[in-house]
Amino acid sequence: MLSKELVAASTVPLVLSVLTGGESYGYELIQHVRELSCGRIEWTEGMLYPVLHWMEDEGLIESEWREAETGRKRKYYRLCKKGGKTLREEKQKWMSVHETFLKLWKTYPSST
Amino acid sequence: MENISQFDLNAALRLWLEQLGRSPQVKAENLKELEAHVSDSVMQLQSKGLSPEESFLIATRRAGSPAKLEPEFAKVNRNPLNKILHGLILIFFSFGCWFVWAMLHFPRMMEHALHGKSLPAFTLLMVRCELLLAVPPLLAAGYCLFVWTRKYSSRNSWMGFFATTIAVLFILTLLALVAILLPIMTFMSYSASK
Repeated sequence: MLSKELVAASTVPLVLSVLTGGESYGYELIQHVRELSCGRIEWTEGMLYPVLHWMEDEGLIESEWREAETGRKRKYYRLCKKGGKTLREEKQKWMSVHETFLKLWKTYPSST
Repeated sequence: MENISQFDLNAALRLWLEQLGRSPQVKAENLKELEAHVSDSVMQLQSKGLSPEESFLIATRRAGSPAKLEPEFAKVNRNPLNKILHGLILIFFSFGCWFVWAMLHFPRMMEHALHGKSLPAFTLLMVRCELLLAVPPLLAAGYCLFVWTRKYSSRNSWMGFFATTIAVLFILTLLALVAILLPIMTFMSYSASK
């Protein structure tokens, strides 16, 4: 399980990354991330929604209420231009952390 | 039988949403989205063979308790009441400052009664600085603009604003009263000596 801080820091880039694959709604987003992380990234599900609304206000994503095939109404989110730009920046940041760790652990393999 | 448990599930979901909806920070749209979420979650769990009750308990536990969710929604949902109260306090404060300014015209009227005697120094100072009374309302208006335009606030700041304006108004009124009372006292001693 990841720490609360790490989950909070990674939520926005994770959502943006999932949405590059096409529009999605809250429940599906959560399921997707849970599957990909093999259950290691566990969100308090309800807390994702305030984050999604914040991202929408910031212009990173946009949303639309639509009826799903089951007849239930769902709010679908998709990536905006600004969201794509933010994702590229986030990617660089996370990759630099990742690469630094890789180099360190190559130099000192016993730490892994 | 299925119908009865389905009904229970809906009632339980409604109760859960009602509990969350009691907070002014959680909007109707947020509730609608959470309802869709929990329903999806319940359906998924039921398809794995769990009973409606079990599914509901797990789904709402995963979604988070109202106590946990409320502050998160409060962070992103703008609170219009806070902004409205700031506006009302600003109007009240500006009116108060205008009133103090109007009060400071009283010593000028007294000047004639003093038959050429000049006003006490403090009163003169206050009367000359009367235009500075526009500064506190302008500062308050600037602060209100900041509050109205900032995107996110997780707390109600109107109480602090109210306390500050009341304190400033109290001090200004006190100063104005002293400025008014001084020439009155001078006038009275002048009349007595006459």
